[in-house]
This record gives sequence, C-alpha cells and structure tokens, in this order.
Amino acid sequence: MIDPAPRAEYELSVQSLSNPFQTGSGNPAWQWPEPAGTSCAGFDEIYSSGGDVRDHWIGLFHALSGLGVEEMSARAEDIRRLLDEHGVSCPVFAEGEWREQPWELDLMPFVLPAAEWAALGRGLEQRARLLNSILGDLHSSQRLVRDGLIPAPLVFANPAYLRACQAITVAGGNYLQLYAADLVRAADGVWRVLTDRTQVPTGIGFALENRSVLQRVLPEALRAVQPRSLDRSLRLWRDAVSRLAVRASDNPVIAVFTPGARNEAYFEHAYLARRLGFTLAEGGDLTVRHGRVCIKTLERLRPVDVLLRRTRDFMSDPLELRADSLLGVPGLVEAVRAGHVAVTNCLGSGLVEGPAFLPFLHSICRHLFREDLLLDSVPSWWCGTSREFREAERRRLDLGFRPAFAPGLPPDHPAHSGSDATLDGVPRDIDARSHEYVSQERVHGSKTVVWEGRNSGMKPVCLRAFVVFDGHDYHAVPGGLARVFAEGEPIPPLLPLAGRCQDVWVLNGGAPEFAEILSAPAPTPLIEHASSDLPSRAAENLFWLGRYTERLEQRLRIVRCGLGRVADESGSVASPRLSSFATLLIESKVFPVKAAGPGMVLQRELLRLLYGVGRNGGVRPLLENIHQAAFGVRDRLSSDTWRILNRLIQDARPRPGRLPLVHSLEVLNRLILDLAALSGMETENMTRGFGWRFLDVGRRIERASGLCHLLGAVLRCPPGLAGILDAVLEIADSTMTYRRRHFSDPQLQGVIELLARETSNPRSIAFQLHALAEHAAFFPDAANPVGAAQLRLRIAEVARRSVAPGTGEGVSTDDYRAFASIATERLQSLAVELAGISDLLTHVYHSHVVPRFS
Amino acid sequence: MKAQLFEIKHVTRYTYAQPVTVGQHLLRVTPRSVARQHLVDQQLELKPAAACRTFKDYFGNTVHFATIETVHEVLEILAASRVAVAPAPWPDACETPPWEMVRSLCRTDRSSTVLEASEFVFPSPLVEPGSDYADYARASFAPGQPILEAVSRLCHSIHTDFVFDPAATTVATPLADVLRQRRGVCQDFAHLALAGLRSLGLPSRYVSGYLETVAPPGCEKLVGADASHAWIAFFCPGLGWIDVDPTNDCLPSMRHVTLAWGRDYSDVSPVRGVLLGGGEHRVQVAVDVAPLGPTVISTG
Repeated sequence: MIDPAPRAEYELSVQSLSNPFQTGSGNPAWQWPEPAGTSCAGFDEIYSSGGDVRDHWIGLFHALSGLGVEEMSARAEDIRRLLDEHGVSCPVFAEGEWREQPWELDLMPFVLPAAEWAALGRGLEQRARLLNSILGDLHSSQRLVRDGLIPAPLVFANPAYLRACQAITVAGGNYLQLYAADLVRAADGVWRVLTDRTQVPTGIGFALENRSVLQRVLPEALRAVQPRSLDRSLRLWRDAVSRLAVRASDNPVIAVFTPGARNEAYFEHAYLARRLGFTLAEGGDLTVRHGRVCIKTLERLRPVDVLLRRTRDFMSDPLELRADSLLGVPGLVEAVRAGHVAVTNCLGSGLVEGPAFLPFLHSICRHLFREDLLLDSVPSWWCGTSREFREAERRRLDLGFRPAFAPGLPPDHPAHSGSDATLDGVPRDIDARSHEYVSQERVHGSKTVVWEGRNSGMKPVCLRAFVVFDGHDYHAVPGGLARVFAEGEPIPPLLPLAGRCQDVWVLNGGAPEFAEILSAPAPTPLIEHASSDLPSRAAENLFWLGRYTERLEQRLRIVRCGLGRVADESGSVASPRLSSFATLLIESKVFPVKAAGPGMVLQRELLRLLYGVGRNGGVRPLLENIHQAAFGVRDRLSSDTWRILNRLIQDARPRPGRLPLVHSLEVLNRLILDLAALSGMETENMTRGFGWRFLDVGRRIERASGLCHLLGAVLRCPPGLAGILDAVLEIADSTMTYRRRHFSDPQLQGVIELLARETSNPRSIAFQLHALAEHAAFFPDAANPVGAAQLRLRIAEVARRSVAPGTGEGVSTDDYRAFASIATERLQSLAVELAGISDLLTHVYHSHVVPRFS
Repeated sequence: MKAQLFEIKHVTRYTYAQPVTVGQHLLRVTPRSVARQHLVDQQLELKPAAACRTFKDYFGNTVHFATIETVHEVLEILAASRVAVAPAPWPDACETPPWEMVRSLCRTDRSSTVLEASEFVFPSPLVEPGSDYADYARASFAPGQPILEAVSRLCHSIHTDFVFDPAATTVATPLADVLRQRRGVCQDFAHLALAGLRSLGLPSRYVSGYLETVAPPGCEKLVGADASHAWIAFFCPGLGWIDVDPTNDCLPSMRHVTLAWGRDYSDVSPVRGVLLGGGEHRVQVAVDVAPLGPTVISTG
C-alpha cells in the first residue's frame, strides 16, 4: 500500500530545508529533551548514564535536527491526516456506546540497535518455539504435566483449555504461525515479557500501516537511519500460511476470519486481507457444508482451504465451543477435526497465554530444549502453590495480582468477577481461589522521546514484538509497535491496542538491505478480487451503500434548495414561496410534523435535518449508515474511495461560530461535491462485476423511489403553488434540461414528462428502471434460482411501466385532475413495487438467517 | 461374567415452528462399553436422513456429528441399543481409604490414573465449587471416614433434604438456586453432589444413562425411569471410579445403564445442535429400557 507519489512533496521540502534562506526565525529549531540524569527513575532509552546520546539514536537526531518546530508540527499533522484518510481507528466501547477511537501514531519512531535486536530476536524466536512445543505437548501426551513441570491446574482448571480441540488436526504441525510478546524494559536495561500472545496476536497490521505512514512523512529520516523492512517477514508469514492449504492447489482459498467491524483490530483484519490478497470473512459469510468450510458468495459456496482466524478460540464455533457465540462458524471444529480446513493460529493455542505459565517457562525450556530461556518474563509467581503464594504475600507491596488465565477468557467468566484484571489491590477471593491468580512485579517502562505538539518530551514505553513461522522455523519481525504511556499512568498487564504508539525502527547493523517488494495483488480499482466470488455480505453492504449515498444526496439537495430560498427571501415574513416549499416537504414526508410557518420555522427545520442527531432520515444518521455499510466492505474499497468517504464525514461537521445559513450552504455544496466524487469513482474506476452492479442497483432503486415520493407530493399539493415546480426541478437537478427544452416557466405535465418518462434524463424514473432492467439480466442464480428468476421478472415488468399517462391513453393533457389522479396512483404503486423488489433482492441474495441453537 | 441384556429405545423428536434448512447436531446417544457393561449393537436413525461422522470425544464418549441439509420441520432421532449389564461389585465401604487421604493423593500423585482423575476436581461450566457446597457436604464427611461411607451419606442427605420436582428447575437453572430451593431433578442432584465433592477436593464426574423402565417384581420403580437419567461417580484410589445415584440414594447396579460421562451435563448433553431457520421448537423425549433376558459378557 506504499504509494510513492506523495513522497515528492517532501523531496521538495527536504531540498528547501538545505537552503539556508529558508530556515529563518519563522521556523525556530525544536529541542531534544534534556537528559534526566540520575533523577530519572527507570531506564533512559535516549541518554546513557553519562548523559550522552546513545549511539543508535544519533542517526535520527541528525536527520531530524534540521527540521524546525513548524515543520515538525506540520509533519505530525500530516500523520494525523493520513491516518484519518486511511480510516485507521479502533472501535472502543465506553459509557454505553461505540465510538471510533482514531489511531495515534507519534512522529518519533522508537529506535533499537542491531546488536540488541539480534539478541532480543533470538529470545523471541526461542520463546515462540517453546510455547509452540508446550501447546503440542498439552494437546497430546501431557508429559509436561506428568513430569511435574506444569502444575495440573494450569491446564485442567484453565478455561482456555478447549477439550473439544484436544487432539484435533494441527495445520502444518504447528500451533503458532504468528506470536507476539508484550515487552517492557526495566531499570536494569533488560527487556522482559509482560504477556505472551498466542491465539490472536494483534498489531502487526497496525505496525505495517505505521511504517507506510512514516515512509511518507519522514522520508529523509528513513533514508538516513535505514531501519529494517517488515516486508520480508510479511512475505514469509503469508507464504507459510498459504502452504497450510489442505488441498493441493496453486491458488488456495484463504480467508481472514474476523469477528466483525466491532472488533478493536478490525482495521487490521481488513488491511491484512487486502495486503496479503486474502478474502475478509465474518462468521456470517462462512458456513460448513459437507464437512467443508465455505464462503457464501453470490453465486455459490466456495470451499476455503485456510482460515487466518482473528476470532478468539472460544468464539470460533457455537456448536462445540461457546454456544452463545454468534460470531463463530457452527461445525468449524468438526471441519478441522476431519482435516478439511486449516486454521491458524490453531484452535486451542490460547491455552499458554495465561500469565500462570510465566513462572514455569525457565524449567520447561531447560527440560525440553536443554537451553536456558533467553528472554525472561517479568518476575511472576503463580499463587496456586502455597510456597509461591507466601512469597507473593510477603512482597505484596511490590507486586500486583493478575488473573492467572485471563487473556482469552470470556469477559463474563467468574475469574473476572470479584477482582479486577488490573494489578491494583489484593483480590478478595485470593484465599479461596489462589490458583486463579498470579502475582507479578509492577513495571514502569523505560523512557523514550515523543513528540508533544510543539516540542519533544520523555514518556514511558512498552513494545509489542512479533514472530512469524516460515514453515521451518520462527523469525522475529524486525520492527513492531511501541506503546507510549502518560507519565505516571499505570502500565496495564494487557497492553491495549488503542492509544498512542510509535513505529519501531530496528537498525541494520551496516549491511545494506535490499528492499523486498511484497507482490501484492494487482493494483486495485474500487473493487478487487474476482467479482464472481463476491461474498453475499459484501454485496449486501454495497447495495446499501448505494441506497444510503443516493438517499443522502436527495436529502442534501432538498435542504440546499430550501435554505437557498430562505437566504433569498430573508426579511419577508410570510413569503408564499417559502410556505409552498414547506407544504411540498410536508407532503413528501420529509418533515414529519406540520412545519408550515414563517421562514424562520422552515430554516430551523432544515438545519435540524442537516445537523440533528437522532432525526430519522436526517443527514447525520444517514452518514452513520453510510459509514457502517462502507466499513463492512472496507477491504474492497480503494484508498481513494475511502478518502472521499472520510472527507464526506468530516465535511458534515458543523463549525461553531459561523453564521448558520451561509455556513450551511457551504457545507451542503461541499457534501454534494463529495458525493459527486464518489459516484465518479464508481463510474470510472469500478470493475463491472457484481459488486458494482449491486451498488448501482441500490442507487437506482433509491433514486426511483425518491422521485416517486417527490412527484407524488407535487401532485398532492394544491395546483399552482408558487415556485413548487422550480423547486422540484432543482432538487432533481434537472433545471437546465427543462429550460433548454421549454423556454418557459415550468408546467406540471412538462415536469412529469422530464422526471418520470424521459429515458435520456439520468435523473428520471424511466432512466432508473431501464438501468435496473439491464442489471437484472446479469443477476446470478445463486442458491435460489427460483427467487432470482422471479426477481428478474418483476424488474422487467416494472421497467415496462409508464408513470404519466401518455397521449394514447385518452387523457387530455389539459384535464389536470384526471392526469394527476392517474399519475398519483401509478407513482404510489411503483413505489410499493420498488420496495418489494428491494426486499426480494435481499431475500434472494443477502438473507443471512441467524443460526439458532437447540 | 453373567449379565442382563437390555434393549434401550431412545427417541428424541424436535418439532420446529418454521422450516429448518440446515441442521448440525452433536449426538451422544451411544452407551459406553465399560468393565461391567457391553454395548452389543446399536441402530441409529435420523429422520430426515443425515450425513454422519463418528468420533470419540475428550472423555471417550461416542459422538455422532450429524448434518441435515434437507429442509425439515420435524427431526426424529431414534437410537436403539442392546446393552449387556453385569452387576457392579459392591465394595466394602470400610475398606475404602479415608476421604482426606484421597484428597491429598490427588493433589500430589502424578501417576496417569490419578492425574486423569484429578482433572475432575476443577470447576466446570455448570458446576462451580464454592464454600456453600463445601459446607453442605462437610456434614456428611466426618474426619477419617472411609470415602464410600461419606459419599453414601452425602447422597442420603441429598435424597432426604431435596424434593424431586420436575417443575422446579430447567436445564438453565443455576446450581445455587437448586441449593436454595431444595428442589430439582436428577441432573440437579448430580450437579449438587459434584459441587460438594469437588469443593472438598475430591474428584467426581457426571454420568448420564438410563434406568430400567418397569421395576422387576418386588422392586420399586426408580425415579427417573422413562427418560434419560443422571448420577455421579467418584474416584477411589485402588478401586477406580464408583457410581452413586443421589436421586435414588443407591449404588447403581443392574438397573442403571451408563450412556456417557463428563465434568457435568454440558459435556454429555444427548443432543446439541445449531440450526439455520427453525424458529421456536418443541422437544419430546421417550426412553424405554426393557430386559431381554440373561446373557454373558465375555471378559478378556
């Protein structure tokens, strides 16, 4: 996803920086933080105890010291803007509602020297190997328990021990294809593991995104420091995952199995799917038929070879694991057991994540490998044996307690009640349930340099590092996420994904590294992948994306038309044009209540429509729906499309302190242009596959029904209301066309003719119906050929309809009442039929019956 | 070994309010073969027909994984088994070790038999040990008492203190409510006994099975016949697992047929399924256990 083009702007700025005339007093130099000296508690990443900058930071210092405060601040702002454009965020549930927490990437990277990384990497690789071996043992002979190296409760009392997954087929013979460790550096300068992550190690996608953002924002620093690339590791991982395919095939079907858009790492799931060329699938996209896991696509059930699962163990199969998980795939465990699908990381790999294992890794490592554990854990004691528990008691002041099996536990598990998951306080039930706790030394994190708005400062930091399996051995990924904490903020034992982070730059140690280009799937227009295999859920989201964006455009045009009139006639208390406009909106049910009144009432109602939060059919709820539908297919939207969608949402934000009327018209114009950009992307950049068809079908159905309602409202209004027909033409964006044809004030029959029957007008009902009929010919039969045939038939029928009575129908165009009553009736019946077609379409292609349990 | 041959017909019938397009079911309806019990044969039939795969679960129970991909509104599962059951040897209670010894052995001994048994001392999805259960059980456990004697006393007090009342609980009733209400069915009483034993550190497991439907002449009909029944087994070093039936306050012998075992009901529920469609459903279960006459279980 690294787009080289935008780098050019910084090439320019770098050159301009070397120009002495440019660095004047307008761009003062910023200061590196002062060495804290001996007063600083904990390890200082930047300065040695003698107060000198550590060698591995010097390259970055030099590269950045030429940039002044203004330039640095601008770059920090660029990071925010790029992340915003890419839509990098984490859904966070707080205070009863979901919100998107933006991803915060610091301008400063975190630098690690080559030699230190080499040692750390060896430790990480050994640890991955060790945990993998432990998982293999505990899921088969359990010799480690028999030999007394692992106390029995760590396995048998551990809720992460999945008995249904004992002795299942292990893809490629390895439990772990990806492993992550949360690391913290103590005052002695040694990195230690705070938590192992073995079932769904998150963050690697965010790390890749961080790097690609900094490649644009700090190109000179990257050139100077030359940190190691992450691409080779990504390729090793991808290739190893592809080789897990259970059928011999050059082109295995691999799906990223995500819990869905509410998961905090959903961005990463979509990102990895796109970057690795895999299909993104939620539980609802997958089904088990004839013992095989299949993706439901529009046309067929497509067998899956490998699931790169990002769902937790216990949520993966409601039949054999947790019954109330609607995010899983019923029958998945059985498909794995039968050897019909490879799942990675293997189901059950969450067992060794629990901190209860930390104290035992030393002796297990010596026992299994005859090696010392290279990478130690933060000192921890399992409270299940009385000796360790007493030790924990004795040292209680320095220690905190954590649930022994916590990571991977369902949040409502009893182990979470009665005590907190944090390190604070002594759990009340420690005596009765001592084996469910681990006591662990409190950690503070080393201090590193961060960018603080106008200057730099020092903050505590922890690392998340990753290890991938290449099919033969484990490889530490030279990079990762550095999570920055506020001064004095306690470091939670489970590092949260959301929050401020830094990109980790591992130095190369001299040898130039040839950049390996990950052969990504072909450059993406709006929709990638073979369109014939569009998952049903993606088709549904695109259909609704089409409907909602069109509905939004109609709303915006109505509000703009109304506010324009209010602005034109300000001062006139009871303008007939304004009251007739209000009548139109009431008749077309845009205004739910009688909002007829002077201009101010109309203005208030229109502004409510534009900014109101809970208003049904208002702009804000529509934007939320658009965001949701787009989020559900974000792996299929190009970055340009995503950028437009993000701008749409930003442009809709009211700016306080501006005159509401003028400002709102500006907002409306911007939004309508954003939508035009979006439909331009659709028309010019989208492959004409099913995805495009469903998006366009949504748009056509919505536009046709919108026109039915609008024209119906006109016909219900008393004839001759001032300015109504002008308004309708404006809302339907057909004013120019009408003028060119008629050279007169609009007449009802002419307007109906143009907006209902004229097939060459892309804003007419007839145009939409013809477009629908064209799409219908391509609709796949899917699993429901009868329904598909019925749908095609109904669309063909509706496309033949004529809304306005034609000249051959014996209705004189002068007989207004006869004309109006026939047209009203036909518009109504057409609107009903369009709603029916939309329902049928959903039923035939998108219906996801939620599984039930008996 | 002399034995009695039984024929067991276990019929489960689901009636759905709406058509089911796909149904996936885990069936645990095949009686185990254990020392004193031998499964002679079984016929398993599903209507509509299903694709079936068979495997042994973690606890060694036979599981049929059935997938039905034809649209149906009624599902019938018919399991007809012939099982030979020999009388269980009744150990002499006085010869069983004191219960405290069993507890400490299970904490320290890592021989495979004891290790495997000690898995059944930990909390399980439906049986979360706690001080309430320990307090209730402790009344039956005098210091130094032989374990079989103590467990029998626990079963006796459950039988005396609790009322068998099918209306009082459902599958979803928490165990704490059963303890408070002093009412329940065989499944609740088994869970209660398990919670008591595990809270004292004694490994015990849940056993599902069947009871002879018509009592032999001169015997009373047992509670829980005509349906699936449940009891427990506890671990006794040297003797292995010993079955006890808290609902009927007895040591199971010739009239109990073992179906499956696990940590609690959730490990052995006879039918567990996920459906596409279906809406509300009604379930009817019919069990008939008829003696077919004497037989012999060949040993070795």
